[in-house]
Order: sequence, then structure tokens, then C-alpha cells
Amino acid sequence: MTNLQNNSQFFMENLPILIPLILLEFGLMIAAVIHVLHHPHYRFGNKILWLVIVVVFQIIGPVVYFVFGRGDQA
Amino acid sequence: MSLLELHQAGKSFGSQQVLNNLEMAVPEGAIFGFVGENGAGKTTTMRLILGLEQLDHGTIQIAGRPVEYGGATTNQLTGYLPDVPAFYDYLTAAEYLRLCGQITGLPQGELDTRIKTMLTRVGLATGSRRIKGFSRGMRQRLGIAQALLNQPRLLICDEPTSALDPEGRNQFLELLASLRGQTTVLFSTHILADVERICDHVGILDQGRLQVCDTLTALKQQYAQPQLIWRFAQVDAANRFAQALAAQPNWGQVTTATQQVRLAYQGPAEPLIRRAWQLLLQMDLTPLAMEQVAPSLEQIFLKVVGQP
Amino acid sequence: MTWIMIKKEAREAWRSRRFLILLIVFLIFGLMNPLMAKLTPEIMKMSFGKQFSVPAPTSLDSWTQFYKNNSQIGIYLLAIIFGGTISGEVNRGTLVNLVTKGLPRRTVIVSKWLVITAEWLLVALVSFLVTWGYTAYYFPDQKSPHLWLAFLPLLLFGCSLTALIVLASTLARNSYEGLFMVIGYTIVLYLLSLFTDFKHYNPLSLINHNLTFLTKAGSLTPYWPALLVTGVLGALALLVANLKFARKQL
Repeated sequence: MTNLQNNSQFFMENLPILIPLILLEFGLMIAAVIHVLHHPHYRFGNKILWLVIVVVFQIIGPVVYFVFGRGDQA
Repeated sequence: MSLLELHQAGKSFGSQQVLNNLEMAVPEGAIFGFVGENGAGKTTTMRLILGLEQLDHGTIQIAGRPVEYGGATTNQLTGYLPDVPAFYDYLTAAEYLRLCGQITGLPQGELDTRIKTMLTRVGLATGSRRIKGFSRGMRQRLGIAQALLNQPRLLICDEPTSALDPEGRNQFLELLASLRGQTTVLFSTHILADVERICDHVGILDQGRLQVCDTLTALKQQYAQPQLIWRFAQVDAANRFAQALAAQPNWGQVTTATQQVRLAYQGPAEPLIRRAWQLLLQMDLTPLAMEQVAPSLEQIFLKVVGQP
Repeated sequence: MTWIMIKKEAREAWRSRRFLILLIVFLIFGLMNPLMAKLTPEIMKMSFGKQFSVPAPTSLDSWTQFYKNNSQIGIYLLAIIFGGTISGEVNRGTLVNLVTKGLPRRTVIVSKWLVITAEWLLVALVSFLVTWGYTAYYFPDQKSPHLWLAFLPLLLFGCSLTALIVLASTLARNSYEGLFMVIGYTIVLYLLSLFTDFKHYNPLSLINHNLTFLTKAGSLTPYWPALLVTGVLGALALLVANLKFARKQL
């Protein structure tokens, strides 16, 4: 019970950081997901693989996709 | 003096010699058809002229100025259309032309009007589409637009028509032909019909040398012989007629191809045709067809390159 | 001419979304630093139990995270994104048209370096300001007095590294080769940093000793040879890149 209280207190305390952080991470993820769905040509891998990478690995996943995964036809 | 001159130009890639003391001159105002088989060294020659490859020995001059590898001074006189032009996909056609024009150093106001006229001329005037969505033909047309934007004295096109569909090819050739008198054009191809259609000068590259280099009319007079062709229903008849023809003194050279008999002759055709008919009557042979073939670049090419 | 190509590069950075991705990632870094500083004691408590006494986090912990992230991930992210900046254009043949129009080759190198460096300076600055803001808010202590003195060496190292990235991608045939060359360069610097006698000369000190610069007044001064070496290496990299690119087949 105290633990839960602690957690929610910690959460509230750090809201100024967490809100922009979550927004950015989700923004990046959603941008990557949309790009994966709209551009079915990848340098390697396939659609499912990239969707999993982009969604599961926060930050790193979308960056890896945008740098290595997306095909030349941008 | 010629606009473009190559002297003793030599180029090897490793142990493979591509150009062997190439001598070549393109006079100002010519539309020069640069003919050769695939791999004969046409692209290499063009890249040498543009300073994109290093010459092993010899010199290249454009309007009296030497071409330097990696240098850019002579490039201001030239426009270049590569066989597969590569653009920045994230730009629109107009933005790309603006980039090219600014690099050439065209003043702002003039550049605006030139971009507009050039885009209309090549049929890309519509809109703000980015190059990444362009088709092969559209890219080729943008390629010619960027090559002509600086109104070059020498336009160099590498196999410009081979990737186009018949209609695009037609339009492109007309565009090139419309430059006659304004711009000197050096244009490589292996499609001889294109050369015959628009070029006035022809150079044939084979085994690293320009085997012939002259005006098209002079070449035809010198190399090509008109031919008479008879077509028979049976191979046997064709062979008998060919033997009889070959036995005649001073008529010309006889070749056969299954049911066809070809006679390459010189001088007037009519007396020869009459005597050939007489021969056919004597032998009691009836050809299905007979035709007279005017000299073509293809004949010259095959003769020069030395293939049957 | 350089200005034309700078505009072209900037447009490329914007339209390819490259700059946006860099910016978002560095923004996330900036936010993560103070957060990680706050979270670490909590995590320690959770894993070792309540009795385990952990000192309360300070601004120093936040800046530790900042310099760790920048020297361990930020630098390599640059190499990953820009490792093919020259080799990519050479392979695609996009420079042929421009060079045959009279574009001097050194302009290509210089404009690329300028734009990449500007991108790096911008995102590093944004990340710095974000970390600074949150750190001042959550840890209002006086433990990290020399913020800029600690940050500037990182910026200088970055500018030198972008020059090296341009050189690597000039020599390389593709972006992977370019990336490996840059990684090779940092490995050499790391090996050199094992010889602590050289620490005042090693460029790597500029991104590894930032906490010292941050806390102790005048601690950067003995490192002036490292600053000099870093600058000279960067200039040298640009020079060699120019020489190599002048003879490169396009």
C-alpha cells in the first residue's frame, strides 16, 4: 500500500519530465509505425519485423528503423 | 578549329585497355553520333571529356581549353546527360533546376524565366511534385532540362534514348534535332536508326580507336554500297542464282542468306537489274521479290567493326 | 557557391526527417538525464531493500548522466546517421550532374561539414538546455558551478568528430565502412587514454573528464593541449578529406 502511494507520488512529482518524454517517445514510435506501413520497401527485413522492432524497442527501435531500415525511396 | 578535340587519348582499367590513342574532333555546330558496341568505351570517353575520369596519356581540349581531371573550368562549357541521371529525390523538378542554375552562376531573374521555359519544353511544368515519384521517362526529361539549362556550347548525352519508350524516344530526338545550329551535340548510342535520323557527323568507336569519323554523307559514299536483293521460295533456287551471279565478271559481291541473294554493286543500278532479269529468264527462275536497298549506317558499321 | 550547397544540405536534413529524428532523440536524452538521476536511488532501494541507505541524488548525478549519454551514445549516433554522407552521394551518382556544372569539389566537403556540425551543435545545445532546466528545478544545489566550461569541450570534440566523419565517409565505400572507421578512431583514443600520462593531450578527455571541469574551477586549463590536438585533428581531417575527394571517382 505504501509502496503504491510512493509510486504514484513519485509519478506526480516527475510529471514535468514524464509528460514530454512520453509524448516524444510515442511521437517517434507512431511516426515510425506510419512510415513502416506506408513504405513497404526496406533495405532489409520485412514489415512485421520492423513493426515489432519499432514498437518494442523504445527510442532505439525507431532510430534504427529510420537510419538503417527505410528504403532509398524515402 | 573544332570545339572538342582528343589527341592520343589513352585509358586503361587495370590490364584492360579501353581507349588506344584515340583521335577525335567534333566541329562546332555538329550533331555528332558516337557509335559503338556496348562496352566499346563510349561512356568512358564521355566521362573523360567531363573530367570525371583520369586520362592515362594524351590531351582533351574543349574550345582550346584543356580538360583537367577533377577540375571544373571546362565543365562550364558543357552540359551532360548521364545514361541514368541521378537526382535528389526530396527536391521538386523546379528546385533541382534552380540548384543547377545557381551552381552554373546564372543570375536570379534570368534563372526564373529559364526554369519556366525549360520545364514547359520538356513537359514537366506541372506542379510541385517531388522527384522521388518520377517515372523513368520523366527523369530522362528532367535530365535533358538540367543539361540544357546553362545553354552549353557542347551537350553530351550518354545513350539517352535506350531507356525510353518509342514515343519518348521520338520526342527526345526531335528535341535534340531542334538544337541544330545553337548547340554542338555529342550523343552516344548503339541504336543506329537514331543516328541516321538526326546526326550529321558520325564517329565509330571500335577497339579503343575511332575507326571512322566523318560526315554521314561522306561515309555513305566511302563505305556503303547499295544492294540488290532477290527473295526466292526455295533455298535451292537461291543458291543456283547466287552461283550464276557470282560467275558474272565485275558485277559485284554476292552473299546468300537462306532464300535471299544479295548483290552489292557499284555504279548505276538499272543496267545491272536488266541483265539480272535476263539471267533469271535464262535459268528459268522466278523470284518472289526483288528490292533495291540504299546504303545504311548499319552496313557501314558492320563493315568498319568487321563482322559478317 | 558554398551558400548554395549549404542550403541544399539543410533542405536535405529537413526533408529527409534526419534533423527531426536527431532532435527528438537528443531531446529525449535531455529529459532522461535528470529522470535517471532521480530514479537510480529508487531502483537501488527496490532491489536492495529499504534499509540500504542511498545518498539523495544531486545535480552532479544528472550531469553525470548527460555526459555519459553524450560520450557513449550521442557521438556514435552522429557516426551512424552521417557515416555515409559522402559515400552515399558518390554511390548514387547524384554529384555527377552538379560537378559537371562546375561545382568545385571542396565546396561539397565544406558545406557538408558545416551543415552536419550545425546540426550537432543545435541538438547538443537543446539537450544541454533541457537537462539544465530540469536539473535546476529538481536539484537546486550549488554542486555544479561551471556548466559551460564543462559543456564547451564536448562541443569542440563534436565539431572535430564531424570533420572526421566527413573524412571517413569520403574514404569509405558505404556508410557501414564509414561508421567502422569512426568507431576505430574512438577505439584508438580509448586505448591512448589508458596511458594516463597523456590525458592532457588526448581529445577523449574532452568528453570523459567533464565532471572535473564541472566541479573544479580552473580544471580545464591544464587540458589546453587536448583542446589544441582536437582542433588540429579536425582541421587535418577536413584537409585530407578535400585532397582525397578531389581525386575520387564520381
